[in-house]
Amino acid sequence: MTDTPMIDLSDVQKYYGDYHALRGITATIRPGEFFSLLGPSGCGKTTLLRTIAGFEEISSGMIRIDGRDMAGVPANRRPTNMVFQSYAIFPHLSVAENVGFGLRRLGLDAAEKTRRIGTALEMVGLAGYGARAAHALSGGQRQRVALARALILKPKVLLLDEPLSALDKKMREQMQVELIKLQRQVGITFILVTHDQEEALVMSDRIAVMFEGEIAQLADPETLYRRPTSRRVAEFIGVMNFLPATIVSEGSGRAALEVQGLGRCEVDAPPGGVASDGGTTVGMRPETLTILYDGQAPTDRSADGTVDEVVYYGDMTYYDVRLDGTDRPVRISMRNVFGRPVLNIKARVRVGWSPGALVLFR
Amino acid sequence: MAGDAGRLRAALRGWALVSPTAIYAVALLAIPLGTVLVVSFLTDGRTPGGLRTVLPVATIANYIEVWTNDIYRFLMLRSLAVSMSVTLVTVVLAYPVAYYVSFHVAPNKKALWLFLITIPFWTSYIIRVFLWKVILGFNGVVNSGLLSLGIIDAPLQAINYSVQAMVMTLAHAYAPFAILPIFVALEKIDRSLLEAGQDLGESRLMTFLRVTLPLSMPGVIAAVLIVFIPTVGDYVTPDLIGGGKLPMIANAIEVQMLKLNSKALGSALAVSAMLIVASVTVVFLLLNRRFLGGGR
Repeated sequence: MTDTPMIDLSDVQKYYGDYHALRGITATIRPGEFFSLLGPSGCGKTTLLRTIAGFEEISSGMIRIDGRDMAGVPANRRPTNMVFQSYAIFPHLSVAENVGFGLRRLGLDAAEKTRRIGTALEMVGLAGYGARAAHALSGGQRQRVALARALILKPKVLLLDEPLSALDKKMREQMQVELIKLQRQVGITFILVTHDQEEALVMSDRIAVMFEGEIAQLADPETLYRRPTSRRVAEFIGVMNFLPATIVSEGSGRAALEVQGLGRCEVDAPPGGVASDGGTTVGMRPETLTILYDGQAPTDRSADGTVDEVVYYGDMTYYDVRLDGTDRPVRISMRNVFGRPVLNIKARVRVGWSPGALVLFR
Repeated sequence: MAGDAGRLRAALRGWALVSPTAIYAVALLAIPLGTVLVVSFLTDGRTPGGLRTVLPVATIANYIEVWTNDIYRFLMLRSLAVSMSVTLVTVVLAYPVAYYVSFHVAPNKKALWLFLITIPFWTSYIIRVFLWKVILGFNGVVNSGLLSLGIIDAPLQAINYSVQAMVMTLAHAYAPFAILPIFVALEKIDRSLLEAGQDLGESRLMTFLRVTLPLSMPGVIAAVLIVFIPTVGDYVTPDLIGGGKLPMIANAIEVQMLKLNSKALGSALAVSAMLIVASVTVVFLLLNRRFLGGGR
């Protein structure tokens, strides 16, 4: 049974009194997958993680882990381990005692215990730190201890509750890479809760975007970025330009649109079709628009406009360009390749684009 | 020069700030203590007129008397036994109360619970001790209740004028003192540590033993000290509940100082009792340092 999902959530509901925290979560998570729950605070992502860990009872629905129904199974009997947002390092124990905390129940002899603790510490890059007092560690080190403490028990699923949010930017980026490597090395299913869309995109095999206790979209990072199914998901992940459009005709999975500033174009219709009242919105990522410099190969389509704003990032420049005949500027990101000048505000430009890059929302 | 003047002014302001407390401490604590210490090395005697007084003759005879006379050793041991029992009973009973308030009372109700716990303090200590006499006495509530129910034929002697009755009374009187420091220690425990304990495979009970209990030990030790130190020196309860038949060390001091007017011997007794309490306290403080050292 290789395609048994590691975690099978079916219509999971959670109420806190009148508050409906989880509104029918259905999803499957595959063995060995790096899965992220992404959403703004209060969307229910941490609640969902805690129901999987067993810290919260679900109100209805079913959670299966490795084929086993988890109803009534307490946290200490579940094949999951958690890295807490605060790391929850026991302040009265040393690093080694923290890492070996869960080994007591396995009844190992002292030598085997020491060996396993050593291996776990080595895995997270803290070899030789065993005797240190837990409170003498830096934030990054505490996180590594929390990781080692969870992984030493070889759980089927490792749950990570915003593990990087307390670290500074540099440390966070370094830990992202280390976590990916670690996950590949141990082959354990990771479920990461995060509100940082970039972190989710960088680390995950698949991402569930959650709003108000529901999964808005579940897809791999590329699909999520390129083909968000709703305006809300598109706004939450990266930057997207939204242009008003009217539907001219629709049929057999395609729709013909009249897009403000871009003209007539034909795009893929979203599954289930579009609302037939005519007015709609299309989205376009900043990098799918390009400013055409002299001598550059022409794109499918182009339109004229005026530069409204220039934001220079070193490797990239973001331009806000107001296309002729529109009332709001679109954002365009341009790579600053050698020899290409950065444009000034009020410059007239020609903007190239392709109808394939347009996303039509339901 | 200006800097020196400024520093002087700052120093003066500092002294001015601490002086009321400092004067109070010196006048009412250090001076009497020093006096007791000095008197303990002098000799009890009589004035030419025959009145008892302290003669300025240095001696260690008082201490020899205190440390060799069986009666004082017996009273000191009884005091220690009573106050250790009181401490044990109080802390063991206070822990569940503190635990309940910290972990199971809704955050907005905690202040109310703590307020209710302090209600016994609304009446004076003496009155509370008297009330226990009413409850436990020969014709008290317990005895007459059990008699009228036909459970006993004669009033129970064990519950009044006994060490148990003294322990019960003192444990009740000091309960809030024990509950509060334990509560504070429990409140400081990050709740995610308890979840981590369970997440790592331990049951609730084992998580309590391996995480909650060690992390609350500073509060427990504070409670032990707060109950132990004053109960060793208690003399109201032995008088009222013990009926004067079960004196403790403080009663002996009272007798020497006030009734027999043997100020020097009384002082030696007081200093000796203080030293014993201090050494027990130091042991606990060392224990506490072990836990505090581990816990940040």
